[in-house]
Amino acid sequence: MRKWIRIFLVLLLAGVFVLFWGRSAAQSRSDFLHNTAAHKRISCNSCHKMPTANWKAARGYPDVADYPGHAACFSCHRSDFFSGNKPSICAGCHANPGPRGAARLPFPVRSKSTDFSTIFPHDVHQNIIAYNQRLGNTAVAHFMKAGFSIDQQKEPQFNSCALCHQTSGKLPKFTTRELLKSSQALADPVAETFAPAAAFFKMSPDSHASCFSCHYQNQEPIRTNCAGCHSLTKPYVANRVLSRFSLKFDHQSKDHADKDCITCHIRITETGDLKSMKGADVPILTCSTSSCHASQIGSEISKRGASIAAKGFIFQCTYCHTSQIGRFPIPASHKAQ
Amino acid sequence: MTRLPFHRCVSVGFVLVVLCSYSALSQDPTTGSVEVTARVRIDGKQAKFARKSFYLLRGGLQDNKPILDRIKTTEITSRDCYYARLKASPAFICWLDAENCDSPYCRKIETDEIEAVPEFKAAYQKGLLLFGQKTDIAQQWLASNLAPALTGGFHREQQGVFERLLGGAILVKSAMTDAVTFKSTFVDIPVTVSEEKPVQMFTVSNITPFEFSGKSYVWSCQVEVSPEKLAVVRLIVPEGDKPVRNCEIVVKALKVCRTGTCGQQ
Repeated sequence: MRKWIRIFLVLLLAGVFVLFWGRSAAQSRSDFLHNTAAHKRISCNSCHKMPTANWKAARGYPDVADYPGHAACFSCHRSDFFSGNKPSICAGCHANPGPRGAARLPFPVRSKSTDFSTIFPHDVHQNIIAYNQRLGNTAVAHFMKAGFSIDQQKEPQFNSCALCHQTSGKLPKFTTRELLKSSQALADPVAETFAPAAAFFKMSPDSHASCFSCHYQNQEPIRTNCAGCHSLTKPYVANRVLSRFSLKFDHQSKDHADKDCITCHIRITETGDLKSMKGADVPILTCSTSSCHASQIGSEISKRGASIAAKGFIFQCTYCHTSQIGRFPIPASHKAQ
Repeated sequence: MTRLPFHRCVSVGFVLVVLCSYSALSQDPTTGSVEVTARVRIDGKQAKFARKSFYLLRGGLQDNKPILDRIKTTEITSRDCYYARLKASPAFICWLDAENCDSPYCRKIETDEIEAVPEFKAAYQKGLLLFGQKTDIAQQWLASNLAPALTGGFHREQQGVFERLLGGAILVKSAMTDAVTFKSTFVDIPVTVSEEKPVQMFTVSNITPFEFSGKSYVWSCQVEVSPEKLAVVRLIVPEGDKPVRNCEIVVKALKVCRTGTCGQQ
């Protein structure tokens, strides 16, 4: 028993040693936390300037495009600035820490963990930014006293999901979505020749640009109300790999591009917040009850059933899925009306 | 017969509770779906309500009578009256009217429209000063320089009305019509059914009125939801005072607040 206690204590000491060896507060970029008691006491604007002086060159629109200046840290971290030739606090922002004022790292550091989650009520936004059907028998615009009319041929550009979710210009990192752990594959995956194109994917905003177009000022949460959109959370590294059940779905195909996003993404319209979002996934009924895909999906379900009955090779569903998903049992949702 | 000691009874009870909970959790919850089609023929014209919200309430029309009564009696401010009350310029009101927009967030504000609408012009000028004379940003971010009452004000007022009409009732779900099929679909509706009662009654309503051709419309329809079949609600407008089966439809003439028209040139 004593032996085990000794081993435990040695391991504990080793753990503590590894964790704290050579480290003090704010010594490396990953160590900077907004979530400490001392940092939580100060307002965001006391460190971050909005916009920063470099916004035109860095972004092209007013934004927080740089680190806070030395003054923001100095009052509390004065001694850290004078510890050694290469004070480790400098590594928080500078590429080559030292007193010579080396170049700063790009802001923000994308590979770094973040300690904020985003507050974005989809439902509020879709109620306000609503695509409205053009009125058939009304002039596109004729203003009293103004006396001009807009070209009838020019379609108005309605603000909609595309305001934030743009078609991807380059192929993002992607993977198939994980199924329930309890789900057992019926067959081994087959060699996959299919590869999605960049335009298959829609991206999510990763800058302030689309938010500030409405919220820069006047409409809360405005640019200085950081907490209106960013809430403190435990540090995490954002997963930038897009995962899909149906990697074969092409958003830009002729028959998809002319649809409204919420024709298929019906769960989005009942989502109040990103945190409570079940997923942007599309319930199968939007495809299977439509005249577009009902027969193909029905046919695949029948073929799977027949292959199981024949006790031969298991038919893999490849109309929508790659083999990574298509070899699993068909979920109940696909069979329901 | 020997009696089990107390601590063993507790253990057995605990195991049973865990097993029952596990079995309850591992069962698929019973869910149903409802589709609402918001393409309606009104006075000979086809009304297509795109990007409009519908709400799902538990129970039938009778169960939701207090809400339906409030819908009938509450006076609603129309979009025109809201903006007229703010003394918005006629050009601004006509810009909204041209594409049936509820707010300036609805669509892109074009360069020539900035010149024509005084509110847009003032916001653009403000933007130029604020955004270092960058014309593209001043135009793209124009809405951020409009007064909040002109941007999100009408939506906020409608939300207030919505809360009053709902009167604290709990919504099961909300869903929005799309701009192509004009349908909204409620999915994953939790339904409690049994062999004797294979369906559960719900009410679908838009609660806050939709405006069309000078009138406001609220549909409230009861629908039976079962796990097997997609329930479908089609909105209709009654001819005269004819009642519509399973629906209560409240149609009100909108108060006229604007002083001119936005006709064709």
